[in-house]
Amino acid sequence: MLIAWRYRDRDTIIQRLDPRARIIFMLAMLFSIVQFWDLRIMLVFLGIAFLQYGLARLTWQETRRVWILVSILILVMTTLTFITGRGGVQYAYHEEHVITQLGPLSLPVVGWQVALTVTAEKTIFAISQLVRMYAITTMAITIPYTVDPSLYGVTFRGLGLPDKFAYAMDLAFRFVPTLGRDFSITLDAQRARGYEVEKLSGGLIAQIRKLAPLLVPVTINAIVGAEDIIDAMDLRAFGVGPRTWVHRLTYHARDKLLIAISVLVFTGSTVLSFLGVGNLWVPQALLRLAGG
Amino acid sequence: MAVQPGTNRTLVWFIVLVAFVVLLALASIFTGGQRISGVAPIGVTAIGLILVFGVYLLTAENDAWAVGTREVVYMAIGAALYGVFNWIFNTIPMPSVSQVALRPSVCIPIFFGYVFGPVVGFFTGAVGNILGDFLTGWGVFPAWDIGNGLMGMVPGLVLLFINKRRSLNFLTIVVAVLILLTAGLIFINPEVVGPWTGEIESFQLWAWIFMVGGAVVIASRFVLERFSVDLAAVNLWGTLGIIVGIGFASIADIWINGYSLATAIIGEFAPAAGPNIVNSMILTPILLAAYEAVQARTGR
Repeated sequence: MLIAWRYRDRDTIIQRLDPRARIIFMLAMLFSIVQFWDLRIMLVFLGIAFLQYGLARLTWQETRRVWILVSILILVMTTLTFITGRGGVQYAYHEEHVITQLGPLSLPVVGWQVALTVTAEKTIFAISQLVRMYAITTMAITIPYTVDPSLYGVTFRGLGLPDKFAYAMDLAFRFVPTLGRDFSITLDAQRARGYEVEKLSGGLIAQIRKLAPLLVPVTINAIVGAEDIIDAMDLRAFGVGPRTWVHRLTYHARDKLLIAISVLVFTGSTVLSFLGVGNLWVPQALLRLAGG
Repeated sequence: MAVQPGTNRTLVWFIVLVAFVVLLALASIFTGGQRISGVAPIGVTAIGLILVFGVYLLTAENDAWAVGTREVVYMAIGAALYGVFNWIFNTIPMPSVSQVALRPSVCIPIFFGYVFGPVVGFFTGAVGNILGDFLTGWGVFPAWDIGNGLMGMVPGLVLLFINKRRSLNFLTIVVAVLILLTAGLIFINPEVVGPWTGEIESFQLWAWIFMVGGAVVIASRFVLERFSVDLAAVNLWGTLGIIVGIGFASIADIWINGYSLATAIIGEFAPAAGPNIVNSMILTPILLAAYEAVQARTGR
């Protein structure tokens, strides 16, 4: 089984940026977005996210599967909040203008009464939530496609992670293809013995238990092999002094600009939030529809 | 006694975080709690981090937190395994039983945490989740990465105890106290706004449900312990890890995505935590038995 990273060298403006600056930007955007419920502000963040996505030159072809899965998830969660949301969204709005009432329907067997009250605030909250989730997701999706996996260790070291953890991260990325190959060999070996992962039979416990012949050999083999790596590293006095890295990251003017923008956006968002700007905005048209 | 530079740095960060939370609390008091809502997610994250730091600082001298060459390599292997398994079991077509998804990879952070300690467990869960998301192209979602990290870290706390039986005693007391506190709070103030209806409802039934659930957990500890202390410990600490980890991520999404409590529980916590617990309870003991057999054979 060949494991291929989503990353591809594209020589775009986004890829020319320092990965540390990009991680700072992503976190600043995330913590800024979550401070607002105003749809107009959400749309600005969504615009920034799509701008990044566009500048990264990602194609629909390569991200299609993720978009479909993410969209299903977002729609399901938004609908759930829309249906169940009254108690949960009290911090976003305190007054509701009813547009229409659906139900009540009587559930068979249990006899519970179910009713859905559609209000202007509930509707706009659901739309804002949808836009907020798409903005966060679009911001996050770009990272795996545009940051070179071999740079993660040095990137997180540059962001302040201790040497040992940054090295472990680097090592983890390097182990992935090897473990993928080990899994493939184990799967083939088990299939040769008549094991069919696609046709597991029995009840829940039996089916889960039958996955052990795949999981256990790969894990134990990796742990046993780790002893040799530990010995080799100890013999080279790993962890005795500060590490040097093969890749060297340097901040350029554009990276510093991006970090400055990130700090500015986050600070501005926090100040605005303190001033009470960016609360749920309900368009007049919806209020008129509710007769308010 | 010489003070280690690492200890100093930890203390500085701890003080910074405490000061941050105090500032948030003061701001909340002076603004009547109205204007603070926007920065609530940051406050909640800070409180979560302070709790983790608190556990660490209280037990900093314990060997369970030590990070040497061995831990670095196991962190890397654990994270790579978790990432690869996450990707593989999302890619190959798997049957599913009823509403329970087959997600065998969940046993990896729990096993690595339980065997190699909380740091290895946290790293395996958090970085493994990032790796898996990178392979599938999902992106980076910090709350879920931390949640997966906690899933591995909590079982690793077993190493803070002299022996596993003591850890089980501690866990039993914690479960009993938490259940009694929750039930007591509900009994004192049973009528609150219902998350589904928005109306004032009585939640007394939930107090009884909590108490019965707690009794089942405590009873299962003694039943499993009759077979093996390890079996009881890995299952109970693993289950606690899943509840804490998935619970953290689901509750964080209330602030991040604006879910209602009901959505977080129905849409995220229950579908994720339930199958994870079932998968973990079956596969982690098998993995642990295989590891102990290899360890006995190789003597390492």
